[in-house]
Amino acid sequence: MNKTTTDTNLKKLKKNAYRVSKVRGETASRVRCPGGEIDVDSLQRVVDIARKYGKGMVNITNRQGFEIPGIDLKDVEEVNKALQLIIENRNINQEEYNGGYPASGTRNVVACPGKQLCPFANYDTKKFAQEIDKAIFPNDHHVKIAFTGCSNDCAHTRLNDFGIIGMSEPQYNKDRCISCEQCVKYCKKRSVGALKVVNGKIERDVNKCVGCALCVNYCPTRAWTRSKEEYYRVVLLGRTGKKNPRMAEDFMRWADHDTVKKVICNVYAYLDEYLDREAVESKEHIGYIVDRTGFEEFLKYIMKDVTPNPKCEIQGRIYWGGKRYDQNNELRNSMWRFSEREDAVVLKQGE
Amino acid sequence: MCNCGKNEYTPVPSKLQDIIKHTAQEWTFRFTHVGDVKPGQFFQISIPKVGECPISVSGIGPDYVDLTLRAVGKVTDYLFENFKAGDSLFLRGPYGNGFDVHEYEGGELIIVVGGTAVSPVRGVVQYLCETESAKDVHMIAGFKDPGEIMFKADLKDWAEKIDLTLTVDGAPEGYEGKVGLVTKYIPDIPIRDISKCKAIVVGPPPMIKFSMIELVKRGLSEDNVWISDSRRMSCGIGKCGHCRINDKYVCIDGPVFKFSEHKTLID
Amino acid sequence: MGFVYKTEEFNKVLEVLEGNYRIFAPVLKVGEGRFRDTDVIRYDYISRIEDAELEERSDFSFKEILIPLSETMFYFTENEIKEADYDARPVIVLMRSCDIHAVKRLDQMYTGNGPNNDWFYERLRNRVKFALIGCGKACPNSFCVDMGSNKTDEYAFSIDVVDGKVYCDVKDDELFAAFEGAGGAKDNVEPRFVTEAEFRVERPEEVPIELFKDPMWDEYTKRCVNCGRCNFVCPTCTCFTIQDVFYTDNGRVGERRRVNASCMVDGYTDVAGGLVMRKTNGERMRFKVLHKVYDFRKRFGYDMCVGCGRCDTVCPEYISFANCINKLNARVKEVTENV
Repeated sequence: MNKTTTDTNLKKLKKNAYRVSKVRGETASRVRCPGGEIDVDSLQRVVDIARKYGKGMVNITNRQGFEIPGIDLKDVEEVNKALQLIIENRNINQEEYNGGYPASGTRNVVACPGKQLCPFANYDTKKFAQEIDKAIFPNDHHVKIAFTGCSNDCAHTRLNDFGIIGMSEPQYNKDRCISCEQCVKYCKKRSVGALKVVNGKIERDVNKCVGCALCVNYCPTRAWTRSKEEYYRVVLLGRTGKKNPRMAEDFMRWADHDTVKKVICNVYAYLDEYLDREAVESKEHIGYIVDRTGFEEFLKYIMKDVTPNPKCEIQGRIYWGGKRYDQNNELRNSMWRFSEREDAVVLKQGE
Repeated sequence: MCNCGKNEYTPVPSKLQDIIKHTAQEWTFRFTHVGDVKPGQFFQISIPKVGECPISVSGIGPDYVDLTLRAVGKVTDYLFENFKAGDSLFLRGPYGNGFDVHEYEGGELIIVVGGTAVSPVRGVVQYLCETESAKDVHMIAGFKDPGEIMFKADLKDWAEKIDLTLTVDGAPEGYEGKVGLVTKYIPDIPIRDISKCKAIVVGPPPMIKFSMIELVKRGLSEDNVWISDSRRMSCGIGKCGHCRINDKYVCIDGPVFKFSEHKTLID
Repeated sequence: MGFVYKTEEFNKVLEVLEGNYRIFAPVLKVGEGRFRDTDVIRYDYISRIEDAELEERSDFSFKEILIPLSETMFYFTENEIKEADYDARPVIVLMRSCDIHAVKRLDQMYTGNGPNNDWFYERLRNRVKFALIGCGKACPNSFCVDMGSNKTDEYAFSIDVVDGKVYCDVKDDELFAAFEGAGGAKDNVEPRFVTEAEFRVERPEEVPIELFKDPMWDEYTKRCVNCGRCNFVCPTCTCFTIQDVFYTDNGRVGERRRVNASCMVDGYTDVAGGLVMRKTNGERMRFKVLHKVYDFRKRFGYDMCVGCGRCDTVCPEYISFANCINKLNARVKEVTENV
């Protein structure tokens, strides 16, 4: 049975980080947790809100936030007050005290566990994610950013507009190397195979090396250590979606912290300039805009006032892949339906 | 500088006097060496920039030692490909305990050997051939096939002085010699007093294992059997640790062990 | 004779000593650990006592001064073999009691096993003096007390830093002048030793031969990843492998060096022709453990392990050597009591 509803500005509601529910009169509050991190007091508050205003259930979002469904639209103001503790504890930029979240366009900044926990991480992903969130939020532009500690990319940064992948430059002390070759073995088996033995010592193919620093993890004598400097691979404009889902492509490698931060912040001026004002709900994946303006124009904006660190290498041209469903929805080389296959019955029986 | 005495790791130059090719894979290198050497001891052949490998002495002369080796590794391959008689190489050694040839004089002795393992016992046999005991030496020498038979000239000489059984594991049709594993011939060895009989068994581990079963069946005491062992080695002088088994170092406590002791050593 | 110094005064002692000696001490290497922003304590040369890490046990032992991880033995030119040079300047090594006990084990292997001494070891060993770092607390995973290595009086001098003061007991007459002239107060100084370690271990007196093939070792076949860290951090492990290399394309110039080896790591028992003596990690574990607490004793009369606990702390798979000794002991009891 439908509830009686009051006049509600859904545009404003969505900007306030509420999702419009299919259940008329209900909404869901989205709790922003940059870097996928939440303190127990905030978590308790999520529980309290869900119990008092929701239905006693909480969704964990794909982008590491929480979503409290089943909130009556008339309770939004009260919920916003209750969210205040979380917003402050999570150090989220806010415009109005007790007013809840000021925007929802720029999505929660995602991070893998990073160096606080993970043995393979090359930097503090959460800290960097939170720093970026502080720099770019609130903003209505639809931007997705994710931070991951190493090339394993557990944070799936390659499905984001900006993916930041941690790198360390392996430092080799040949006097400590006993040529046990464990680095060679693990680099080959678990990474890209950038190491080889030459004259009983190890040579690193600096071009092939992805800076994952597995060699450091597996070296039993501390012949391999991480560079003091933390470096990043920046991958650009990956996305999911109906039209042309695709992986983000390499833009920079061996970039430093400041370079990465500036490049990310610069994207908003580009969006201000080129976002299609006719876009549905003013929401458009950046990649489609770049398809319109050309990469050169995009590059001009995101590199504005950026002086990359000397070690940073930049890709001048980028080509993205992914299937263009707007052009072709066929499966690549099989045009049969399972039920029409001659051996379909046999296959089914064989299950 | 240091007053540490001799640096045992220093390779000593040695002239290659001759190369005797037994098979394509097994050659004897005759190195100049003057000094006491016992059969069963070994040398480190040392090739600068390539490496070292331990090889048992297969012959001892007044100014030379023979080292017989198979081309199965980096150093041996290099040796086969790059050197000829007259060239100069490097040696370290001799190392290890070796056989005490006097132990086997004046009594009955069974020798069971397989393949290149003839090397460490060759000196023992040669010594005994020159003594009264030669007639009481019963030797079974086994090779994989007729083409793999090594030390053919020696075997021919020895056959006249000792009781020699030469056998091959397998042979093409028409081969006139004995065929079968060495263990097959152990029961037939004529022994007068098994309680005093001694034995030397050298070869691959499975050969030693099954030969011992046969010898023990005949009543031979494990205390009267000597074997020669081999392990990975780097230093040859009891430092690098690679050849250790339990509390023994093959390079200094061996390579010759009494079987009764060796069977308590577990890799 | 003992002295008590302020830090600056003791640094004067070091300054004088540095005229004749280099000072080799445990040093905290920031950021050089396995993981991002983790540290490692390993030995290096110092000039000031503040640069030494004296509170925590070093992750790698002092042994790198006597048996470098990688040491050139000979240089080869086309016609010449040349012994590699070494830094002949004398060294004072700062180390804990357990490690001073470990030196005896290194000496045993390199100068007391077989007719030939290790020339390269001796030339380094002859120039080293040992200074004792007092132990204010038991190290993590240590079992030095049960291994009898928690105390020693074999040191040139001792160092205990307590409340910003440096306490030294000086035994070596050659060094006395350096200590006397630095302005410290004379006092009776006793270095600190621990009398209770973290772990208790019981070692078996005899290990019956059937235990060499006991299923107790199978656990380690599954758990151990044969990385060899336990060996590389061990102050008593001495194994090495000799390797030859040539530098240039024409192969005329090269060197022979030796590198630390580990009985846990692949290749240790491989012989030309493909035979491997110990394939499983359980067999390797048994080989190592029995050496440390049994085989070495059978040969030399005392146990090799000094109970420093480094191997436990470093193991990436959380295998406890101390616990293994106790398990072995329990198993020996079971087997011998059931006979």
